[in-house]
Amino acid sequence: MAEARPNDPADLVAAMAAGDSGQPLSAFYAQYGSTVLALLTKMLGSPAEAEEILQEVFVELWRRAAEYDSSRGSVVAWVVTVARSRALDALRKRSRRYGDRQLQFSERHALETERGRPDVLVSNTRWHQALRQAFATLDADQRAVLELSYFLGMSHGQIAETLNLPVGTVKSRILAGMRALRAMLPIIHQSMRA
Amino acid sequence: MNDQRERAELLAALHAAGAASKEDEKELQALLQADPSLEKVVRDFQDSITALASSFDPLETPPRTLGKIQKKIAREQGSFLSRLRSWLSKS
Repeated sequence: MAEARPNDPADLVAAMAAGDSGQPLSAFYAQYGSTVLALLTKMLGSPAEAEEILQEVFVELWRRAAEYDSSRGSVVAWVVTVARSRALDALRKRSRRYGDRQLQFSERHALETERGRPDVLVSNTRWHQALRQAFATLDADQRAVLELSYFLGMSHGQIAETLNLPVGTVKSRILAGMRALRAMLPIIHQSMRA
Repeated sequence: MNDQRERAELLAALHAAGAASKEDEKELQALLQADPSLEKVVRDFQDSITALASSFDPLETPPRTLGKIQKKIAREQGSFLSRLRSWLSKS
């Protein structure tokens, strides 16, 4: 008989897919809500807007739970993909309303922590410590292109124009940055097991 | 590394980073169909970028947000059920 795993993310998604919006959704939200809110706040820069989009993200995750396919990636990857996508939609909407200036990216702050905020949960888990240390070692040029692409949704062409670089250089930096991130995975996984 | 694998790695990196164009995506899909072992390259890059995206210090969620989410879902479920009931009554 299979072992019962009450808060296993994949089981929670399966329960949501079956239409249960009670305990499975609450447990799922307890696991991912604060991480999603941190990502949305980072991308949108506005806590109020981030909280609004947080609701949309979880309604969408519940609605699309049946589409989750574990062979295509982890639950957290699916959650982050949906959250990023909704944040990019909000940024595009804002850009249409206010012009491109609203899309300007504060590169300096993007990967910094928010230790000064009263609502930041004390995050001294080995997971977050390992992540922070690993990402601090990323080359600044590689970090910049990854931030513009991933957190602002820019294509390689748009990044080239923004940074005044040849498209080939942007692509090489993205590849180098992604390789550097990939090289950190074993360290991060090890810290999770420790 | 052969040229095709190197090309696939670049496309997978662009895809995971969200910087791929429509043409890049099409080309990546074609390469994945031709060589399913490339899926691992895509997945590793996706796991890496997911780790980056979830590396920020978690923020405390506002206390009423979960209730608001559950209300929205209940409204959706209610409207689905009423549509279903109306469809069943007509058929």
